[in-house]
Amino acid sequence: MLDVKIKNIYLKGRGTLLSETNFSLEPGKIFTILGSNGTGKSTLIKSLTGLLDKKFYSVEGTVIFGKEDIFSLEYPSLLDIRRNKIKYVFQDSINSFDHLKKYAYYFQRIAKDISESDSLLEYFLLPNSKTLFNLYPYEVSGGMAQRISFVLALLSHPQIIILDEPTSGIDSAIANLFLIKLKEFVNNSEQLNSGLKHSALLVTHDIVFAQKISDKIAFISNGMLSPFVDSQIFFEKSNVESWNTYLTAGKALWG
Amino acid sequence: MNNLIKLENICYSVDGSSDSGSNGSRKIILKDISLELRRGKILGIAGESGSGKTSLAKIIAGINKSYEGNITFNFSEEWKRIRTNPVQILFQNNGEILNPLRKVDSIIEETLIVRHHSKNVEQEKHRIFESLNISEMIMKKKGYELSGGEQQRAALARILAASPELLVLDEPFSAQDPESQLNLLNFFKKVNIEYNITIICIAHNLSILNKLCDEMMILYKGTVVESSSAEELFSNPKHPYTKFLLKAGNYELNYNELSNSNWETEKHS
Repeated sequence: MLDVKIKNIYLKGRGTLLSETNFSLEPGKIFTILGSNGTGKSTLIKSLTGLLDKKFYSVEGTVIFGKEDIFSLEYPSLLDIRRNKIKYVFQDSINSFDHLKKYAYYFQRIAKDISESDSLLEYFLLPNSKTLFNLYPYEVSGGMAQRISFVLALLSHPQIIILDEPTSGIDSAIANLFLIKLKEFVNNSEQLNSGLKHSALLVTHDIVFAQKISDKIAFISNGMLSPFVDSQIFFEKSNVESWNTYLTAGKALWG
Repeated sequence: MNNLIKLENICYSVDGSSDSGSNGSRKIILKDISLELRRGKILGIAGESGSGKTSLAKIIAGINKSYEGNITFNFSEEWKRIRTNPVQILFQNNGEILNPLRKVDSIIEETLIVRHHSKNVEQEKHRIFESLNISEMIMKKKGYELSGGEQQRAALARILAASPELLVLDEPFSAQDPESQLNLLNFFKKVNIEYNITIICIAHNLSILNKLCDEMMILYKGTVVESSSAEELFSNPKHPYTKFLLKAGNYELNYNELSNSNWETEKHS
């Protein structure tokens, strides 16, 4: 459902960050990218819908969504995809909001019916719409903003959700909620029957989370993304050296 | 008695919510926190957001003085003559403690001079840089030129230069990749032994605390619900909230367990 063939992501003044990055997101599955700090994980996921600042970055390649190449779309169609079809939940979600607009603004432009908003807010142990809509973004904690951002992404019923470090800065218990809801998002049988198919792509350092949630995992290092492999295979018999140092560290910490 | 620090019935509250009509009610952040920590030990404090863990860290580090209760430190005599603080704290967003316009080298040098009255500054500096794997190249960089990981190491170097007796760490592992987390973990163990620094580490990640700490304390809504040796707490957790946190860390909670999480604050130990 998303076919990525990126030849090159180039940062002015620094050179190539990532090259030959090819993968396809299949419906009904959760894809995870692991890798150390500074290897370009966030840059890669931002590049997929053209979110990188063109003043600094240039991206060569194609990202086919439906039948169209996102990189060669006119701005209004690109905006439609970003608004309705491919949604992001960023790491510093609090900065995704204008601090002078109450949450009502964000919910009212996306959600058609208030009961759906309320049931998602309740699910994520957030204040109900009556209370939350009157709050400004600076009045909630970073962890709450992250949950609100996820709720808003779900409310626009996208086909793909992309998450950057969904578990960082939030309590483990709340991270469990993300896990359950994301699995539901890609596996919801009603949606599958009606022909609507969903998938999720995430970037994380949380190896335990990655292991519990992912169908497919790829590892990024030295400017290259490995092919996506089944999660089980990744954790059981990864024979690539860079994966191994990463996983050994992970196992020493959480094993 | 070889306690480095002793807390007795620490309470801390702030003005009630900013809602009009709350008539000066107080919001309790910490309630009756007591602890004793022996010199050379590592204590882990875990809890979720809003449990009061950062408030407690600030009180221990002497940044927040508006608490009730008693804190007794048992520092060595030499601190009477020294101008740096025997308690140092490493914050979550540690980059901010470095002056962005000064070289790492000179930041560390200054601290060493204040702390040691210019004795063996060069030698000490190299010892610190070596134990933190800070290269010649990083030493010459200015604060703003450092990456996140470099900032953290530079901040740690500055703390070591002050040779504290107690180091307070506030979520040092968050937003780091596993390799950096493991390096940090090993580094804290080394500092504890080689520099003989007692450590209090605050984190929400229980499994890392398990690898680091001798003693453990679980905070919930400002009270201690369980405290014991790390070995005891991790092999035989008693309070249901501790069990809940352990399960959460392994991503094994179901929705019912998550939504009905209101725990008694009675202490089990």
